[in-house]
Amino acid sequence: MINLTAVVWGTTGALFAFGLAIVVLRRQLLAMLLGLELMLAAVNVSLVHHAGIFNDAEALAVVALVIAVAAAEAVVGLALILRLRRAGSGADAALLTELQG
Amino acid sequence: MAWAALVAGVVAAFFAGVMLLHRSLYVSAVSLLVVLLQTAVLFLLCGSPLLGLLQVMIYAGAVMVLVVVTIMAAGDEGGRFADFSFPKPLAWLGVLAAVGETALILSHAAAPAAVQVDPALQAQLGAVLFKPYALATEAVTLLMFLAALAIAPEPETAA
Amino acid sequence: MTAAQVPLAAWLLFAAPVAAVLLGFFVFRRLKPEWTHLPILASCMVVTASAFSLAADVYTGHSFDLNLFRWAAAGNFAVDFGLRIDGPGTAVLAMVALVGSLIHLYAAGYMKGDPGFSRFFLVFHLFFLAMIGLLTANNFVQLYLFWELVGVCSYLLVGFWFQKESARKAALKAFITNRIGDFGLLLALLLIVMQFKVTHFHLIYLKLASGATFELLPLIGLCLVWAACAKSAQFPLYFWLPDAMEGPTPTSALMHAATMVTAGVFLLVRSWPMIFAVEGLPNLIAWIGGLTALIAAIIAGTKKDLKRILAYSTVSHLGLMMLALGLNQIGAALFHLIVHGFFKAALFLCAGNIAHALHQPTANVDDVGGLQKSMRLTYLAFGLAAVSLAGIFPFGGFFSKDAILDAAWHHGGPLAIIGMLVAAGSAFYIFRMLFLAFYGARPEQKGAPHAHEAEPILAVPVLFLALGAALAGLLKGPIERFVVVGMRGLPSGLPQLDVVLNLPGEPTLPHLNLLVAGVGTVMALLGAAAAWRLTMADPGFDWRWRGGAAEAMFESDFGWKTVIDKLASAVSRGAGFTGRVLDKGGLDGLVEGTSGLTRAAGAVIARSAQGRVNDYLWWMVAGTALLLGRVLR
Repeated sequence: MINLTAVVWGTTGALFAFGLAIVVLRRQLLAMLLGLELMLAAVNVSLVHHAGIFNDAEALAVVALVIAVAAAEAVVGLALILRLRRAGSGADAALLTELQG
Repeated sequence: MAWAALVAGVVAAFFAGVMLLHRSLYVSAVSLLVVLLQTAVLFLLCGSPLLGLLQVMIYAGAVMVLVVVTIMAAGDEGGRFADFSFPKPLAWLGVLAAVGETALILSHAAAPAAVQVDPALQAQLGAVLFKPYALATEAVTLLMFLAALAIAPEPETAA
Repeated sequence: MTAAQVPLAAWLLFAAPVAAVLLGFFVFRRLKPEWTHLPILASCMVVTASAFSLAADVYTGHSFDLNLFRWAAAGNFAVDFGLRIDGPGTAVLAMVALVGSLIHLYAAGYMKGDPGFSRFFLVFHLFFLAMIGLLTANNFVQLYLFWELVGVCSYLLVGFWFQKESARKAALKAFITNRIGDFGLLLALLLIVMQFKVTHFHLIYLKLASGATFELLPLIGLCLVWAACAKSAQFPLYFWLPDAMEGPTPTSALMHAATMVTAGVFLLVRSWPMIFAVEGLPNLIAWIGGLTALIAAIIAGTKKDLKRILAYSTVSHLGLMMLALGLNQIGAALFHLIVHGFFKAALFLCAGNIAHALHQPTANVDDVGGLQKSMRLTYLAFGLAAVSLAGIFPFGGFFSKDAILDAAWHHGGPLAIIGMLVAAGSAFYIFRMLFLAFYGARPEQKGAPHAHEAEPILAVPVLFLALGAALAGLLKGPIERFVVVGMRGLPSGLPQLDVVLNLPGEPTLPHLNLLVAGVGTVMALLGAAAAWRLTMADPGFDWRWRGGAAEAMFESDFGWKTVIDKLASAVSRGAGFTGRVLDKGGLDGLVEGTSGLTRAAGAVIARSAQGRVNDYLWWMVAGTALLLGRVLR
């Protein structure tokens, strides 16, 4: 029998790792945004599973809140990126170097 | 039902890999969409159909659609993938997974769960959200409202 | 003896020059500079009278050594200001006072019209005061103070005509060379403090007489000898003296003939108990003195500038004094010191007269010739001094030089031969100078047609000095008594000590040894004859060994000057290296380099802050992973 906990941990780990890799490695800001969402989703999976295991409804509440916040964050991020695009510097992280020095 | 979870997990991981490696932003976005759908199935299989529904509705349905549309609207700068094409094999894989999972769900009378979960758990979700976590809930609501302001247009600069 | 019992003469010895200098500086220099010499000449008279009075006191047995006041104290150690009026000190003091006063008088005439007249007299008299202080000091620290002061005045006076570059360089050379010697004296002073815990002469003599062994004594002795060599212009530190002739003639006469250069010999006399206790050190002094005397005598015979000939002659005679000291003949050394003061001062002032007559700062043998007729008085004075120098009976130099030669003869060995050769050499160079300057003009000489006799103020002091040189032989007895008193009897100022301290060193002068006297006179006459042969016998014979290696060799003092030049340039290169590379580059670079280092470090760290988001993200991941690792452990 396949252990669900193992599957969930495996999935969570894989999704989180990939999400982190996307954020760190890819240059486009939009891609980074997607990576962020991926990480949050991964965490949600783990939370939901363990809520069932431990019979903890608060974990489910947290999941709900995380979904909401992630959505809000995605909106704001998109707005920022679009602002950047319009300002002319593009959405390339390598070119955004005003923090240099 | 754990094999279904395994399948969902594997597909999710695979599409996450695609997200990382494929150079097209559009493909990455759509892959994320698929991943989120798989995670929704996982939610279901873990004994929380409500959250699965919420995930599909809000996350996959609203947020990701927003992202994908934005990507399509903003366009890939100088990209080779401006044509927003999605590789066919991946599309087939995704569709296959979706279909399989849908079949699984519909074949069960109640929501299929891979583990035994207390049915009252879901019902407590609401109670938790509005009693111990009421403040957090309100804060997040406010946050979402403020986020909506993000799409407010720039004030016109005086000429 | 208490301070109240100190004779008035001793107070006046200091009060008069101090008052004269202060008066001259604050009053006369402001109001009437050309009268600055008046208070100073008055002070000279007072000082001479006081010096002779004190000498008379010592002669009758009333010498004293007294601490006047405590200058500085630190725990057990104290530095006092005191007076030591004893035999050797007063003998030399009397000579210095008399010769110094006469030269002051001469300077009043010589320096008239010079724009720095007032400055000259003030510094000159300050030097006089310093020399008095040096001779009456009763401890090493006080002696060192006045030693340094004498050096400073030497610098100021040699560089008196500072508009001339050669004068500035000569002053610097003199001062720096003296400084190198002073370093030896300072070292000796510190070692004395370490070894004996006191610096007073009589206390050190007592400690030495107690018979204990002192480990640092050889080092002290060597340092003292080094200091004396620099001040008294012995080999290898003699080369500043010829160049010091850039100063006005009164300076050369007083400082570099009679007084300052004898300070080195005097230091050794004061320290003789210490030096005598070291094995082989007296021998070293004798050899240094003997060799210097010989080499300087030879070089003196090749020079053309009148004052430089006399400068080398001074070096040679100082060598003779050192030779006498080295042979343990304190009395002979002091005797020669005093007689030499007279005749050398006379010779210098004659040279000054000649230069003055030619309206030049100094005179060359090429400029003169046949002055016998036009400058009779100068000729007479020069002649007297010259025969005294050459050591011909019955003039003063004979007795003093004979004493030294006798000691050398008895010692035997090469030193005796050197002594005789020096006698010949001295006669040679001085008679060469006499013939070339005063007898018939040779073809290459200009002859000085407009030379006239010097005015009285210049001529009279010279005559007095020459007379003193001639008659100095009469002083043999008194000087012996002075030295005996100084060395065989404790100064009566220390009533608590009953023991009579016999200091080492032979105070009595050697008796007249006919053989030595005869050989010495023969050598002198040989030298004079050689000089005649070379200069006057054949006017057509060109004695100058014109050009080529010989001239170069003589000009550079047989190559020693080249050695010194190379040494000096090596030292200055070393100093330049130290300053430029080590200090500026190294130390400064180290300090300034910290800024560069910081900047470089900053640049390296700045690479992590390029503004690239991805880099920041990496750092975030790393940090979070680290934190998680810690937390989850």
